[in-house]
Amino acid sequence: MSTQFVQALWGGILFGSVYGLMALGLTLVWGAVRLLNLAHGAIFVVGSYVAYWVVSSLNLPILVALPIGVLAAAAFAYLMHLIFIRPVIGKPGFDNSTLIATVGVSIAVSAAAILIFNPEYKVIPPVIGGNFTVSEVQITKQGLLVIGTSLALFGLVYLFLTYTRLGMAIRAVSQQQEAASLMAIPVVRTYGMVIAISGALAGLAGVLLSPFFFLNPNSGFNPMIQALIVTIFGGLGSVRGALVAGFVLGIFESFIEVYYGVAWAQPGVFLLIILMLILRPNGLFGIGEVRRL
Amino acid sequence: MSAQTAATVGLARPALDLAAAPWRRVSVWTVGGVVAAAIVLPLLLVRLDIGTYLMTLLILFFVQAVVAQSWNLIMGYGGIYSFAQVALFAVGGWTSGVLVHSLGWNPFLAILVSPLVAVVAALGIGLPTLRLRGVYVVLLTLAFHELARVFAVTGPRFISGGGYGLVTVQTFQFGNAIGDQRTIYLYYLAGLIFAIATFVIWRVIHSPLGVAMTALRDSETYAVSRGINQFRVRLVLFAISAFFTGLAGGYSTHYNGGISTTIFDFPRIIDLLAMIVIGGWGTFGGPILGAGLVIGLDQYLVALGDYQTLILGLALAGIAVFAPQGLWPLLRATYEKYLAAEPLPPAVEVSPAAPHDTTDEL
Repeated sequence: MSTQFVQALWGGILFGSVYGLMALGLTLVWGAVRLLNLAHGAIFVVGSYVAYWVVSSLNLPILVALPIGVLAAAAFAYLMHLIFIRPVIGKPGFDNSTLIATVGVSIAVSAAAILIFNPEYKVIPPVIGGNFTVSEVQITKQGLLVIGTSLALFGLVYLFLTYTRLGMAIRAVSQQQEAASLMAIPVVRTYGMVIAISGALAGLAGVLLSPFFFLNPNSGFNPMIQALIVTIFGGLGSVRGALVAGFVLGIFESFIEVYYGVAWAQPGVFLLIILMLILRPNGLFGIGEVRRL
Repeated sequence: MSAQTAATVGLARPALDLAAAPWRRVSVWTVGGVVAAAIVLPLLLVRLDIGTYLMTLLILFFVQAVVAQSWNLIMGYGGIYSFAQVALFAVGGWTSGVLVHSLGWNPFLAILVSPLVAVVAALGIGLPTLRLRGVYVVLLTLAFHELARVFAVTGPRFISGGGYGLVTVQTFQFGNAIGDQRTIYLYYLAGLIFAIATFVIWRVIHSPLGVAMTALRDSETYAVSRGINQFRVRLVLFAISAFFTGLAGGYSTHYNGGISTTIFDFPRIIDLLAMIVIGGWGTFGGPILGAGLVIGLDQYLVALGDYQTLILGLALAGIAVFAPQGLWPLLRATYEKYLAAEPLPPAVEVSPAAPHDTTDEL
C-alpha cells in the first residue's frame, strides 16, 4: 500500500470516529428533544478547557482530568437545559427560541473562555503518548484510543438505549412524547438526561481531540459543523446513521485532502451532502417521522 | 356603455379598505418628515464637534440595518432558518472588491454587480436546500458559511489576498470631496441604500408574496393545501434578501476600503442576530430598532472588551427564551395606548409565539 493511501485511510478513520462521536450527541438530542443544539461546539470547548485547567493548574495527570472534563461538560449541558431549554418546552415557538438561545450560549462560552484563559492556543497532553509507523505514516496511540473510544461509546449508547430503563424512556419520549408521559415517564427530566449525556459525549470528544487540534475558544465550531453534516448525512435522529456517516464522510474528506489538496476537502463534502439530500432527503438511515433513535 | 361607465367608475372610486392595503396606513407626512430629517441631519451634524463620528455611526447603522432587515425577512417572516446571511454579505463585498481591485472598475459601477452575484449565490444555496425542512436549512447554510470562509482564506490570491482578504480596495470618490464633505456623501449613499431596501422589504411584506410567506410560517400544512407553492415563495424571498445583503456588502467594501476575512467570525453573526431578536423577530420595525440599539450600546460597551460578547450572548439567549417577541411589540403597544388617536388595527406581523403547526416544527 502506498504511503498516500495509508495516510488517507488513517486520517479518514480517525476523523470519521471523531465526527461520529460529536454527531452521536447531536443526533440523540435531536431525536429525543427535537432540539438543534448549536451549543454543542461550546460544550466541547467547556470540557476541553476544564481538562486543560485541571492538568495545567492543578498539575494532575490527564487520566484524572479526562473524567472531570467530561463531567463538567455534562453539568454545563444540564445547566443550559435548566436555564434556557426547560422554560420553553411544550410552548409554541420552541424551535425559534432554543435555536437562538443555543447560539447565544455558544458565543457566551467562547467569550468566557477568552476572559478566563486567553485567546492563545492551548495544548492538552495526550492520554497515551507514543506512536508507530505503518508504511511511513505515523499512527499515534492517542488516535487509536480515540477510534476505540468512539466505537465503544456507540456500542454503549446502543446497549443503553435498548436495555436500560432510562434508555427505554428516552426512546419512548422520542417516539411519542404524549403517550410516554401518559405511561408516567417524566418527559422533562428525560430531556435533561439526554442533554446531559450528549454534553458528556461532546466533552469527551473535546478532551480526546485537543491533542490533535490545539485548543482555543472557538475550536468547537468546526467539529460541530462537521458533526451537523454527518448528522444530516446519516439521517437526523439515527444513531446507526451517525456512526456510518461519520466514517463515510471522514474517509471521503481525507482521501480528497490527500489526493486533491486540502482546499477541495470542504467543497467536496458540501457537494456530497447536497447530492445526498437530492437523492435521499432523509439521509442514509433516515427513519422518517415515526421512529427515531 | 363602456367608455362612459368606465369614466364614472373612475370618478366614484370606492373608499380604500385600509386593512386590505396596509401600506396606505402610513401617512405620507410621517415618511416625508423622516426622509427630510435624514437629508438635513448631516448638514447640522457637521457643525458639531463629534458630528463626523455620529455620521459614521449612522452609516454603520444603515448598512447593518439593511442586512438585519433582509435576514429578518427570511428568518422572522419567512421562517427560513438561514445562517448564510453573513456569507452572502461577504459574497457581495468580495464581488465588488475584486471587480475594483483586480479589474479596475469604478466602485459605483461595481456595487451594482455585487447584489446580482449575491442573488446567484443565494439561488445556488437555495435550490438544493429550501425544499427541505428547517433544520436542514440551518445545517446547510452554516456549512455554506464555513465553505465561503475557507474559500476566502485559501482561495486564489486575487480573492484571498494571501489569507487576510482584500486590504487595499479603492474607496468611493465623490469628485474632489474630502473630509466631512466626503462623509456627507457617503452618508447619503448609505441612506439611499437603506431607504430603498426598507421600502422594498415593506412592500414585499405587504404583498401577496408576503402574506403567503407569513401563512407558510404560521401553518405550513394549511398554507400548502391552499395552493401556495412553498418552494417558490421561499426561493423568491431568499433572492430578495440576498440582493440587499449583497448590496450592503458591496457598499461596505468601498466604504472601509477593503474586506477582511474576519468578517466570517462568529460574533458578526451574533451581532446581527441580536439586532433581530432584541428588536423583535418577525416584525417590520424590529431589526431597524435592534440595529440602532445594538450599534448605540456598542459604543458604550466597547470598553468592556470581551465581557461585551459574553453579555450579548447571554442577553440573546435570555431574550429568546423569556421575551421572544422583542422590543418592537412593546413599543407598538405603548404607542397605541398613549399616542394613537384610535386603536390601530392589529398588526399584520404575527409574533413568534403564534401557534405553529405541531407537526412541522423546525
